[in-house]
Amino acid sequence: MNSKNKNMISRFFFWLVVIGIFVYMIFPFYWMINSSLKSEAQLQMTPATFVPRNPKTGIFAPSLINYKAVLENKPFLRGIQNSVVVAVSTTVLALLVGAFAAFALGKLRYRGKTASLYIILSMTMFPQIAVLSGLYFVIRNLAIPAIPSMILSYMLFTLPFTVWVLASFFRALPMEIMQSAQVDGATPFQTFIYILLPLTAPALVTTGLLAFISAWNEYLFALTFTTVQPSARTVPVEIALFSGTIAHQTPFGEIMAGAVIVTIPLIALVLIFQQRIVEGLLLAQSKDRIHRVLNEL
Amino acid sequence: MANKKVAFSELAKGEERLALLLLVPTFIILLVIAIYPLGSVFVSSFTDRQFGTHQPTHYVGLENYRELLFFTVKQLPPVIDPATSQPEIDPKTGGVKYENPFNVLPKTPKRYHDISQFDLFGKRYVIGAIDQYFLPSILDTIMFTVISVILELLLGLGVALVVNTAFRGRGLMRAVMLVPWAIPTAVSSRMWEWMFQSSRVGLFNVIGQILGLTDGNFPFLSNTAFQLPAMIIIDVWKTTPFMALLLLAGLQLIPKELYEAADVDGANKVRQFFAITIPLLRPTIAIALIFRTLDALRIFDLFQIVLAQSRFSMASYAYYQLVDYANMGTSSAASIVIFVLIVIFALSYIRAVGIQEE
Repeated sequence: MNSKNKNMISRFFFWLVVIGIFVYMIFPFYWMINSSLKSEAQLQMTPATFVPRNPKTGIFAPSLINYKAVLENKPFLRGIQNSVVVAVSTTVLALLVGAFAAFALGKLRYRGKTASLYIILSMTMFPQIAVLSGLYFVIRNLAIPAIPSMILSYMLFTLPFTVWVLASFFRALPMEIMQSAQVDGATPFQTFIYILLPLTAPALVTTGLLAFISAWNEYLFALTFTTVQPSARTVPVEIALFSGTIAHQTPFGEIMAGAVIVTIPLIALVLIFQQRIVEGLLLAQSKDRIHRVLNEL
Repeated sequence: MANKKVAFSELAKGEERLALLLLVPTFIILLVIAIYPLGSVFVSSFTDRQFGTHQPTHYVGLENYRELLFFTVKQLPPVIDPATSQPEIDPKTGGVKYENPFNVLPKTPKRYHDISQFDLFGKRYVIGAIDQYFLPSILDTIMFTVISVILELLLGLGVALVVNTAFRGRGLMRAVMLVPWAIPTAVSSRMWEWMFQSSRVGLFNVIGQILGLTDGNFPFLSNTAFQLPAMIIIDVWKTTPFMALLLLAGLQLIPKELYEAADVDGANKVRQFFAITIPLLRPTIAIALIFRTLDALRIFDLFQIVLAQSRFSMASYAYYQLVDYANMGTSSAASIVIFVLIVIFALSYIRAVGIQEE
């Protein structure tokens, strides 16, 4: 066998692996879309078909009936609205509060810095389940509405992470910027608001996106806190508890249509901002960063 | 001179005051939603607190923990046939018939339930626990965690190595890898639940039948032997791409010159992989493993949505005790057990991979 043939064969196998990985990651979505375009009768066809087909003739026949049902489903639409309110408020609150703390951690000198950094770092790994019954008890006893409860409690996983990532961005800004602003008579706080914050705008976008996605996808707190107030359910809870117009049978067609509707905006966000998201994830998790931050103190 | 010093320390003091002021909101929020609730969960784990009753709450000491965690192992004696004084044979299994665990396990002060049986040196033993579900949920969650994290690491490494080579469509591939990570677990759980349906409306039964592996009606999600593998399959699908992205970033930090030098020295690709790639990727692997393990140990969404109460993860057990049974005491104790387990895992990992030292 000459080397040219060998090269061809290895290229062939390489592409086989690439296509295999691609199909593995994408196929479940294809199946979700495929199922969402099937009517109840088409869903019950055995064996299941790889495209929606007319049960009798076998001709390609997609149906939009599930989408129609979902878009007329009041709880589902309210779920989207709740999710938008919760995710947007969580993101704004986390960025606002987080940027303050991150500025202190990243640029100011004060006693107790090491301790506060360690606390923030350990909080990024805090398991939600550990505080579930405590929060639920307070919310039920004080009858706090579910939506503000969710927004505040989501700080548990968005805030430490936001502070951590933003602090490393602030630290990377040269000290001279602050010093020259101070020479010009600006207080540290003015320097922060008018000079440093605009410089970290890209970082705010990155952390904001990650906070938004994690708040949009959150399920445990949303499910628990809305047990007494179903009108406040967010989309993941609606999808998980979905029971359609047909009783006794799980309406998978409608569930899949709902799933497609809530997934598309997320996929769009991810594709548009993929570079930033990857960057943010790496910042949050890289050992290098953890080292550098702790060593620089 | 002295004036300057005063001015400087004034400035430093101002900076310190500002820092504390800026940190206060974050720490107040964390106090209200993390530290205080954790304390109250800890306290109520020693009580018999219930929701929706007017009965007063009592301190019960370690009772909740005892009920959740205590287990006993007893030997099951064979049933002796009085006529022949030989062990009876179970007509169904063809093996020796053993005593009913109910008669062997302790009943006071709390009844022990049969959670598992095993054979050792020709004798049959039964494991009994006061709470039928929590100990199995710990074992299931740890099994789930270990197997899925290992699979995710291996598959993720494979995907990262492939995507790390230059080829057309690499950008698209990297974008696609973010998609399973980004969608809500609620959505992916229902998506896979549908594919695992127990008849040929489900994808896997169609494929299984085509390949001759199932009769087309295999109950993937209610078959106890397949429940855990199904959870692992779904979790691996959702998190492998994320793992791959982390590892890919690590791969890109390895200097190309090292491989070029190895090529010159005549080391083949396999050697290069074990001598260069793996050692230099170790820190990245360590971080990825820590985050994935801590995530997997607290798995909730997937188990709660797909298996509901037919099989529990630790977190879904704590959830059902709280919301469906209003047992705040039991739920809190279970939460504290999870918390302690996660802390132990995190600390031992950090020790093992040495985040602290250079």
